[in-house]
Amino acid sequence: MKLKETVLDPIFKSNPITVLVLGICSSLAVTVTMKGALVMAISVMAVCGISSLILSTLRNTIPGRVRIIVQLVVVAMMVILVDQILKSFESTFPIDKQLSVYISLIITNCIVMGRIEAFALGNKPIPSFLDGLANGAGYGLVLLIVAFFRELLGSGTLFGMQIMPASYVTNNLVILPPFALILLGCIVWVQRSIQKDLQEK
Amino acid sequence: MNTNSNLYTVIYTAIIVTVVAAVLAFVSQSLKGKQEANEKAETISQMLTAGGFGSKAEFQAMGNVKVLETYGNEIEEAFTVDAEGAKVADLDLGQKEVFSRSQLKAQNYKVKDGNGYAIPVYKFKNGITVVPVYGAGLWGPVWGYIAFEADGQTIHGAYFDHESETAGLGAKIKDDPAFQAEFVGEKAFFGESPVFAIVKGGAPKEDGKSVVDNQIDAITGATMTSNGLDAAINMWLGAYAAYFGTFKAEEE
Repeated sequence: MKLKETVLDPIFKSNPITVLVLGICSSLAVTVTMKGALVMAISVMAVCGISSLILSTLRNTIPGRVRIIVQLVVVAMMVILVDQILKSFESTFPIDKQLSVYISLIITNCIVMGRIEAFALGNKPIPSFLDGLANGAGYGLVLLIVAFFRELLGSGTLFGMQIMPASYVTNNLVILPPFALILLGCIVWVQRSIQKDLQEK
Repeated sequence: MNTNSNLYTVIYTAIIVTVVAAVLAFVSQSLKGKQEANEKAETISQMLTAGGFGSKAEFQAMGNVKVLETYGNEIEEAFTVDAEGAKVADLDLGQKEVFSRSQLKAQNYKVKDGNGYAIPVYKFKNGITVVPVYGAGLWGPVWGYIAFEADGQTIHGAYFDHESETAGLGAKIKDDPAFQAEFVGEKAFFGESPVFAIVKGGAPKEDGKSVVDNQIDAITGATMTSNGLDAAINMWLGAYAAYFGTFKAEEE
């Protein structure tokens, strides 16, 4: 596979959320505000990219029988590092509090382990790193699209700034997780009507 | 090299785990100071929110330095009290010393035993006294701050936080301003049991307004969190009963 495809495919053509349907749980939970979604997106990109890089570098030395455990240890380390760093900065501390368990739960995000198992263990470090980043970005893109509608319609704001006129009555349904699922469904619908090869016969 | 031999596998995993542990320990140690500063500002902003000096969002927008400054301007006295209500030690106002969550947790065990504790009291210049409460919710710890008027009985405001209560249900103790507003104007009956109650099925009401007593409504769908918070408030306010008892003695 060419490097360009490695980077571009996960963004749209084989997007982890809309095509592979991975990482749905957290995309319902962290998309109430744009800020939260952005921090989550960057965190997943960092965890996915760097874990892929580390494990791809080690791939020929990892004993086959404890492969998954070694992956888990490296991913867990990255997740804890990201959490610790978010907690250390004044600007990200409240967001880390708001995202609470969902940062730690990146470790259970199937995208991370899925990409390591499917790509990083069989490819060179640089393409693996890019693959991890790109999958994180594909995930983050969907997160941001969902968060855009949820924050705009649910709170009338974007990144905390008032966008809708003061007379706008905020929609409580949009804030609740089920609406994220409806939005995700719409995004999958749009993608499938553009990308005909995804449609089942 | 045979990467599948038992010896190789054992040594490899041991090395990986040691390296990862070392990296995490190093990072945790080097970031500790910054994290503690953030935690402290958060604690203080929760106290100030309970005391009605501003909303939580305002303090968040202010930044750590301004929050500490506001606290420095408003605080009159901060000290710890024991089971008899007597002062144990002063907290350093210059350093803006406050009890951290882990300190509250440590005291929580002693409060449970009923003696040997030294729990903090924060007295502000406008006569408001703020005290912490700490306990177990459904999934993890819940804690918060309750502010009392100068009479040492009427609740001026409250703010609660939690570690991992269910979003949309138990998390309402923190996220729902309406829940925290319920406390305002109610009273704590020190020396009685319960001191304060979060009741299922509705606190007594008159003309749609909660009667001034020591009861407020629990959160629908969050029975366990409500019970946990109720227990936390009762135990901690009970521990402060002797201290607040001195308020009455002064009045008479």
